[in-house]
Amino acid sequence: MAKLIGGLGTSHVPSIGVALDRGLTETPDWKPFFDGYDVGKKWVEDAKPDIAVVIFNDHGNSFFLDRVPTFAIGVADEYKPVDEGWGPRDVPNFAGAQDLSWHLVDKMVERHFDPLVCREIDVDHGMQVPMELFFGRPKAWPVKVVPIFVNTIQYPIPTPQRCWDLGKVLRETIESFPSDDRVVVMGTGGLSHQLQGARAGFINQEADMDWINNIAGNPEKFRGMTREDYVETFGSEGAELIMWLVMRGCMDEDVELIHKHYYAPASMTGAGMVVLENTV
Amino acid sequence: MSNSAPIVDTPLYDRAGSIKGYNLNKMAMALSQAENRTAFKADEEAYLDRFGLADDVKKAVMTRDWKEMVRMGGNLFFILKISAIDPTPITAIGAAQAGMEHNEFLRTRLGKAV
Repeated sequence: MAKLIGGLGTSHVPSIGVALDRGLTETPDWKPFFDGYDVGKKWVEDAKPDIAVVIFNDHGNSFFLDRVPTFAIGVADEYKPVDEGWGPRDVPNFAGAQDLSWHLVDKMVERHFDPLVCREIDVDHGMQVPMELFFGRPKAWPVKVVPIFVNTIQYPIPTPQRCWDLGKVLRETIESFPSDDRVVVMGTGGLSHQLQGARAGFINQEADMDWINNIAGNPEKFRGMTREDYVETFGSEGAELIMWLVMRGCMDEDVELIHKHYYAPASMTGAGMVVLENTV
Repeated sequence: MSNSAPIVDTPLYDRAGSIKGYNLNKMAMALSQAENRTAFKADEEAYLDRFGLADDVKKAVMTRDWKEMVRMGGNLFFILKISAIDPTPITAIGAAQAGMEHNEFLRTRLGKAV
């Protein structure tokens, strides 16, 4: 059966992609942010995953408001980076782990999740940026991907508990997938930021540090928060941190925090990452 | 979940915004296609008229009144595509919503030394 080799949590701020495109990674604004990812990149290089399951939200690029799926699963053999309005980015297409995607769809429906199943869909910075942060800018990605789209744009968004439960189904999916694939799960989004309303520019570094420090050892406190708590604590767009709970729910109760990194602000956002491994 | 327990200065994009701002967002969404960006740049008002926007919505777009666009149900992730054409930095959109001058916003909200 396939093996879950680790869980990554990371920001997916679009300006990270812009900084990479424009060669700004060594500038004073960006260097401390990117430097913190070196250890994460090294971990991935050593861990040699075959498949990355990436949990992210679309930002009004692949889905408009005409249809808003709470959870959608890509089952394509290939995903193209979408033009978000700034023109296409020079990022390679992503090869899809089609069989694992369909297996996930089967397991989700069995477990009473009912996702939208996407045979053809592009992916935005929500998926591009985490891949670039951990795999760099290769000519071709060294892993195949399973994209899980979570609605965090239009309310009602799913509850933190529901995201956690999806993580449990994802774990069962990986461990019942007949292959030797090594699978890494990436929960993305956050950390604190708010882009709309008079509180725009809100960043809560204290809460962000609490998240980074405790998502490994004490995820219960985050799982028990309401969506309103997320919005109040992390900002209206920072509520996308609920997607890390899919990753955390997928991991064991006891995990080792291998790496952590936090930097603020990246553009208008508290930004950072964790690398988790199951202890056994 | 709706905005029944409002958080100060923090609008949630729920059914009300989605209904109210649908055409505005649809217009902005279409700017992810290069040919529509060209049309927008060539004749902004003619492009906006294709989406049946009310006069006050058109005015908010054409004057780049970001606060007003959000009030009218524009969602940041869609109206960002308008800013991509200008280009207007996202921090300037944030400053407009916070009711601050840009540098003051960078200083007080984002801790930048400007």
